[in-house]
Amino acid sequence: MTQNKDNFEKLYYDFNNLVYTIALNYLQNIEDAEEITQDVFLQIHQSLHKFENKSELKTWIYRITINKSLDFIKMKSSKKRLFIFGNKSQNESEYLNSSNFEHPGVLMENQENAKILFLAITSLTENQKTAFILSKVDGLSNPEIASIMELSISSVESLVFRAKNTLKEKLAEKFKEYRKK
Amino acid sequence: MEKENWINEILNSTNGMIHVAPNEGLYSKIEQKIFLNKNVVSIKTVWLVAASIVVLISLNISALQNKKVTTNETSEAIIASTLNQSNQLY
Repeated sequence: MTQNKDNFEKLYYDFNNLVYTIALNYLQNIEDAEEITQDVFLQIHQSLHKFENKSELKTWIYRITINKSLDFIKMKSSKKRLFIFGNKSQNESEYLNSSNFEHPGVLMENQENAKILFLAITSLTENQKTAFILSKVDGLSNPEIASIMELSISSVESLVFRAKNTLKEKLAEKFKEYRKK
Repeated sequence: MEKENWINEILNSTNGMIHVAPNEGLYSKIEQKIFLNKNVVSIKTVWLVAASIVVLISLNISALQNKKVTTNETSEAIIASTLNQSNQLY
């Protein structure tokens, strides 16, 4: 039993930064990212015996983290929808309306631009968001992303391409505001 | 051109980004949650037990009702057997 505990602790310290950062990329909020990190490791603890090594452990942990993050966003958006008398928000940006989110992992000189990018990311669909975050923000290769998302490499390439186009459109609109300043 | 440069700067703003560590006390919180979870019975178990109890009670009620019908039939049979079959009173 002590060995299991030691193994789990080691696993936690091997992957906690990865899980926390991914959660931050999605949720753009430190407290929420910590909550999701806890939920992810709780699930890992409960499900580790079922892990059948069909994929790498890291891939499996990525998947759990992404699913938990997306579910959290949906849950928060639903609560907000109820509060504003059932009006459906077009995307989850009503929840993630934190244009002042400073990601602690971003270089200081890029913080202002990164704030704009993270806000724009909230307008992407779930799959585009995941593909873009893993590719551009987390720096994974397309084969790695394909393994995590259980898609073909060409599907991932398509998602990243569409995500970038969507972001460029959003940012083009944002540029007009930027110019006025 | 200025717009495109600006957009590219934004898109590249996460270059060089690193993974960050959560709060140091987070592992303790996770340990606590694991401990709490071990002592909690799952909802599925609760429903299974509840369903088993309902089935058991239903079977018992059904058995009791059958017994009552059987007892009544037995009583009637006893009464019928004590009656004089020949209809002779003497």
